Amino acid sequence: MSEQRDFQAVLAQVKPEADRLIAQYPQSRSALLPILHAFQNVEGWVSPEAIDAAARMLGLERSVVESTASFYTLFFRRPVGTYMLQVCRNMSCQLNGAEEIMSYLREKLNVGHFETTYDGRFSYEEVECLAACDRAPCMQVNLEFVYDLTREKIDEMLRAMYAGTFETKPLPQTAKPEHTWRVGQEPQRRSPGARGVVDPNDPGGMGDSSGMRMLERLVDDPLLIAARPTNERLVRDGAEIVRDR
Amino acid sequence: MTVKVLTEGIGELNLRDIDVYTKRGGYEQWKRVATELKPADVIDLVSKSGLRGRGGAGFPTGRKWQFLPNNGHPRYMVCNCDEAEPGTFKDRMLLEETPHQIIEGMLIGSYAIGSHHAFIYIRGEFKRGHEIFTKALAEARAAGFVGQKLFGTDYGLEITVHRGAGAYICGEETALLNSLEGKRGEPRLKPPFPAVQGLYSEPTVVNNVETLAYLPYILKNGPEWFAKAGPEKSPGFKVVSVSGHVKRAGNFEVALGTTLRELLALAGGPRDGHRIVAVQPGGGSSACLFEEHLDLSYDFDTMAANKTMLGSGAIVYFDETTDFVKAAHALVRFYAHESCGQCSPCREGGHWLELTLERLLHGDGLQSDIDMMLAIARQLTGINLCPLGDSIEPFLASVIRRFESQFRAYVKKKAVAEKAVMA
Repeated sequence: MSEQRDFQAVLAQVKPEADRLIAQYPQSRSALLPILHAFQNVEGWVSPEAIDAAARMLGLERSVVESTASFYTLFFRRPVGTYMLQVCRNMSCQLNGAEEIMSYLREKLNVGHFETTYDGRFSYEEVECLAACDRAPCMQVNLEFVYDLTREKIDEMLRAMYAGTFETKPLPQTAKPEHTWRVGQEPQRRSPGARGVVDPNDPGGMGDSSGMRMLERLVDDPLLIAARPTNERLVRDGAEIVRDR
Repeated sequence: MTVKVLTEGIGELNLRDIDVYTKRGGYEQWKRVATELKPADVIDLVSKSGLRGRGGAGFPTGRKWQFLPNNGHPRYMVCNCDEAEPGTFKDRMLLEETPHQIIEGMLIGSYAIGSHHAFIYIRGEFKRGHEIFTKALAEARAAGFVGQKLFGTDYGLEITVHRGAGAYICGEETALLNSLEGKRGEPRLKPPFPAVQGLYSEPTVVNNVETLAYLPYILKNGPEWFAKAGPEKSPGFKVVSVSGHVKRAGNFEVALGTTLRELLALAGGPRDGHRIVAVQPGGGSSACLFEEHLDLSYDFDTMAANKTMLGSGAIVYFDETTDFVKAAHALVRFYAHESCGQCSPCREGGHWLELTLERLLHGDGLQSDIDMMLAIARQLTGINLCPLGDSIEPFLASVIRRFESQFRAYVKKKAVAEKAVMA
């Protein structure tokens, strides 16, 4: 998808804005976040090309920009849906029924936390306190607030979004979103060991030796020994098998 | 019981419009300050008023301003509008409803510390607020309140609006400064404090939105007016965000020293047929108080004496239907999610506490988990660069101690289920 995009056009649009932003600060690097916002406003996400361009504008290393962008959750480094639905899951909303709202939306859209619907229309995320606790439960759609959520209100909202009559404009979408916009292994971070911390012999716990046993078995199997000539490779593959389980 | 200082006219007038604001006397104090008063006079007046920071730490504002070294370096004023403390929604209201009040406060504060460039760091989620503030700032600039050679004096001030991108930790002042410099929002080691080496390593003052917004009124009505309201050591007014199990959640401006019960009444009281069993008085980072504490005076010192804090002034009331295991999980998950990852105790401790609570909620908890959580929470406190890690323990520990039976009930769920399988 990305090769079809006309990034030069995006750049031409953002450049004057970026120059204005840089001039606002005593040091140019301060303009990094505003420039990334500007790119995201045009493209709907912060593309690798945008990161590259921002790095060049500010005279920074690409890795520095990447590292900074990855710190902030509002920069999407993968394409997202045209409606970014962010439901508050913090205290005051939860006391006022946010759990029900979250499960209703999940069910209705058939998505989970950090997931985009297959038609690329909706991205769903459960976020922390949005500072609208007086009208809980609340959410933001493309960073505009929707208050006092109920099932009916959600139905109405989704209908309006499909019909194109919703008051908040959809985000620009310059590339087709994948299933999630998380970069890296975040969704899988819960290793089985996490649950075995108290009893180390639980599966995956510190004392769980099933992985080691599997490696031993592999070593014992003459056929496998032939198939895996180096020790290093054996360990690596063994580890992969354990992880995939 | 409520007072109308910052909140006056909200909901009735369109205070975003500069004409409406000036008609009510807006920017008059700024003009008086710039043309008649010396910076030292302003600092003196603010010190006399006893104004303490409204962002969370409650540090006396006048004293903070006096820490700046006189080394001839440029100085910066930064207004902290990265409001993200769970339960707080006062800064967003001020930003969206009365942006000119904030601008006037920033002008007065900058003049007092001798800064010629001020920044406001607005939370990334406040897109609407950012637009409103930017527009208001352009109006103020066009009207000659912001810019160079103001009112024919030599004093000039530039204000730059900066929008964050979704990181709670950027509300911590050194993390905010890093973020403003275009870096990852990771807190810095203190000292040096921002007053000595802040933004771009120059002397910097970071003040909360509400703190700055009170300045015009303190100058207008005199420091005695402010100091007279509320208890002696923590005087003045405060916009309090009340939410949770109440009938009419909202922002209420009161004199400090109002009791928690009175604040509850302002918010319409508990839901019908329910009673309040717990209250968190200072945002997600504060320890819980309970029904016997409802008559406590709501001010910095009384809260501190009761081992909790006033914090950002966000009160969440809980009635007897609350599942405190879930509540603790929601807050612990918040801190685990928002940890910047610099200090191991906070990064790892928060994560493991979240997992332990999750296990408990899924019915896989062990009896020993409850003591373990208390131990982890205690051990991760006080050894981090910034207060985020220290914010995990207060709520968790206070509700575990008070509602231990609820936590134990979750453990029992598992035992009961196992017995049923065995039988």
